[in-house]
Amino acid sequence: MTATRAETYSCLRRTALFALGATLALAAVPGALRAQTAPTGPIEITTGTSPGGTPDVLMRRAAKILNEQKIITNPLLVQNRTGGSWMVAANFVLSKKGDKNVVLCIAQPILTTPITQGLPTVYDQLTPISMFIQGDLVLVVQPSSPVKNLKELVALAAQRERGVKVAGAQSGSTDHMVAGLLEKAGNIKLNYVPFDGGGAAQAAFLGGNVELMTLTPSEALPLVESDKARIIAILSDTRRTEPALKDIPTAREQGYDVVWGQSWGLAGPPDLDAGTVAFWDDAIAKLVATPEWQASIKDNFLRSEVVPAAEAKAHLAKLHQEHLAVLRDLGLAKATPVQ
Amino acid sequence: MDALASLAQGFEVALTPTNLLFVFIGVTLGQIIGALPGIGPSAGMALLLPVTFGLEPVTALVMLSGIMYGGMYGGTLTSVLVNVPGEAASVMTAVDGHQLAKQGRAGAALSVSAIGSFLAGIAAVTALVFLTPALSAFALSFSAPEYFLLALLGITATASLGTGSPVKAMIAAMLGLMVALVGTDPIQGTSRLTFGSLELLEGIDFLPVAIGIFGIAEILVSMEQSQHVEPIRTRLREMWLTAKDWKDCRMAILRGGSIGFVIGLMPGAGPTVASLLSYVVEKKASKHPEKFGRGALDGVAAAEAANNSAAHGALVPMLALGIPGSASTAVLLAALVLLGIRPGPQLLTDQSDLVWGLIASMFVGNFMLLIMNLPLAPLFASILRIPYDYLVPGILLISLVGAYATSLSMFNVGLTLLFGMVGYLMIRADIPRAPLVLAVVLAQLMETSLRQSLMLSEGSLSIFVQRPLSALLALLIVASLALPAFTVVMSRRAARRARLASGITD
Repeated sequence: MTATRAETYSCLRRTALFALGATLALAAVPGALRAQTAPTGPIEITTGTSPGGTPDVLMRRAAKILNEQKIITNPLLVQNRTGGSWMVAANFVLSKKGDKNVVLCIAQPILTTPITQGLPTVYDQLTPISMFIQGDLVLVVQPSSPVKNLKELVALAAQRERGVKVAGAQSGSTDHMVAGLLEKAGNIKLNYVPFDGGGAAQAAFLGGNVELMTLTPSEALPLVESDKARIIAILSDTRRTEPALKDIPTAREQGYDVVWGQSWGLAGPPDLDAGTVAFWDDAIAKLVATPEWQASIKDNFLRSEVVPAAEAKAHLAKLHQEHLAVLRDLGLAKATPVQ
Repeated sequence: MDALASLAQGFEVALTPTNLLFVFIGVTLGQIIGALPGIGPSAGMALLLPVTFGLEPVTALVMLSGIMYGGMYGGTLTSVLVNVPGEAASVMTAVDGHQLAKQGRAGAALSVSAIGSFLAGIAAVTALVFLTPALSAFALSFSAPEYFLLALLGITATASLGTGSPVKAMIAAMLGLMVALVGTDPIQGTSRLTFGSLELLEGIDFLPVAIGIFGIAEILVSMEQSQHVEPIRTRLREMWLTAKDWKDCRMAILRGGSIGFVIGLMPGAGPTVASLLSYVVEKKASKHPEKFGRGALDGVAAAEAANNSAAHGALVPMLALGIPGSASTAVLLAALVLLGIRPGPQLLTDQSDLVWGLIASMFVGNFMLLIMNLPLAPLFASILRIPYDYLVPGILLISLVGAYATSLSMFNVGLTLLFGMVGYLMIRADIPRAPLVLAVVLAQLMETSLRQSLMLSEGSLSIFVQRPLSALLALLIVASLALPAFTVVMSRRAARRARLASGITD
């Protein structure tokens, strides 16, 4: 366990150091072109969820620490531009070409909505800044369920097609994609029932209406402690190292190659100048190093591994391909229209 | 007695000067935010989230929840005075409240709303004190099949709204259901009737419809006849409740408050459904059902009592399980997370100071709101002494800014104006408007939960009768449909018999 922990930490430190290094390197490039330029006036962080959604909470916390620690002195304003499954927010930022005073929170719908709705991709039009928050997922079953691990779950589901009911958020959501991955890995067919958001799905699960559900560790642990759910697998690459999570086997350990998670970050509008990108890159690197940020990440069982601006574009392209593949398997991907 | 000891401890927390001040700030803001159309309590709470950074968690929470229930009091104002529902839960208040205002009884409508909200609020908080853990289990026994039947009950109930024929009311409800079809299919995720428009991808929001159909349409009609409209004359004497009013409304508040609380408990149904159902129940129970839709004070009392107690009831699943029961409690949960407190089933035991401080603060906050609203009711009602012509620009401005604020887009402003015209045509054609607006609210719940139920049951309809609660609801629906039809048949028969009898004697 200690080895894994050290590894994660060193990995964390490495990325953080790399981020710093990259910023320094960029700043060292001769000419004013690469130098950091701080925008003047308030900066809007646009999110597409209503207040209280995970990305909204994460951005508000980041904004709070950035301002409180004077890492960014411009007032940061988290604005909820809901509608069109994040496309209203995305289009707002896409229309602000070169605007230094607005950034977009990157969350999964920025990648998935264009795929499921057959719209032009968004991520590649934006100016990537950084992906810096990652979240893992766990699978939970009813505490009274005979199912103790993934193998037994797959065996149960194999008995009857669509016999195991799964509650989750809307069609094409993380929960849905996890169900899809599980179906593929176990060669089974689940009965996925989409609810109006994670809270409603959780209510359906707690009411005993479904057998299986995907949750984040911070959602699942309180339920486990009060004996309202049992975790059967974590979908991370390797086991988590925290005491509360170290005994949860990964899906991969149990013989099913289901690795999936969530990640969040920031991107600027199209044609954002390099100086502002460098300013953000530097700010995010400083943010993740603060004890306040580390504490809140730890409290919520998240991870904060920084993908700096220099790598963010390739990283997002990779994520896009992964999401596209899963959504294709689920039959939810629409062909992208010829642009 | 455990609960009482905890509550006493809660009052100790809630009655510190700082917390008292923030309860006051919260309820005052809630009052204002509720009155402004467009910004509902949940959006208002979200706007003020950053303000709570740096406050003690309990201080932040008492302020935010003050906005939540303060909004329920405030929503009454614009509904009664200018027929623009300040938030979704006030639609039913607008129906009768505005009629009362036209009759010069705005003061009475506002006072009875304040008293009804207060009594229901206090009762709901008391229930929270003693029953939270027990009720949370009950709240969870509601799932997709029950929600579908509840929404269906609501839709069938809209037929009895309005003063005209039930057929016209159903036509309006059908129109509302059709409006609600626009958007993304809730199960498959494909777009429906959006014509490639991105703005329509998440469907037509309830607020532009309500603001347009109620507020804008009212203005359009009044402009037509502005020369003939006398300013509403109100005398101070008529502003207060009479003893008779109070006698009429006592039971309405009790019934409305109880129904509201039970519906508020369920994560999935909210204050809007609560106020609709209690209004309909009140119409059935009332001695003068013919007054409903033409200015029934007890209708206003029931709807207002219901929406406030539902707002409090939604705290049960939130506190006991960490599940948001409404849009506002979702923001409260977010606030908890931001303050570094993990919500969940342990919240009641791990954070008892916080939870009981919050509950105690709601007693205090409801008192403040009552004290604030009672003297202000006649004051606000006197706004109507201003000739309507002069009020129109103001109402229009508030309405359109409200529509813009819902999603910060001009598209909704256009929609509002469009629905204003639809509403105008409906008034002209004498089609009741409330069923359309309510159908827009209920349709999503109805469609989603129907399809979820059928997925859960793998296609079998028996899920709607096998579960005890759904069987009960199904029975209610059948009764609500069969009884009026039965009475119509019976009265026709009686009439025919009477005709025959008189024919013979002739």
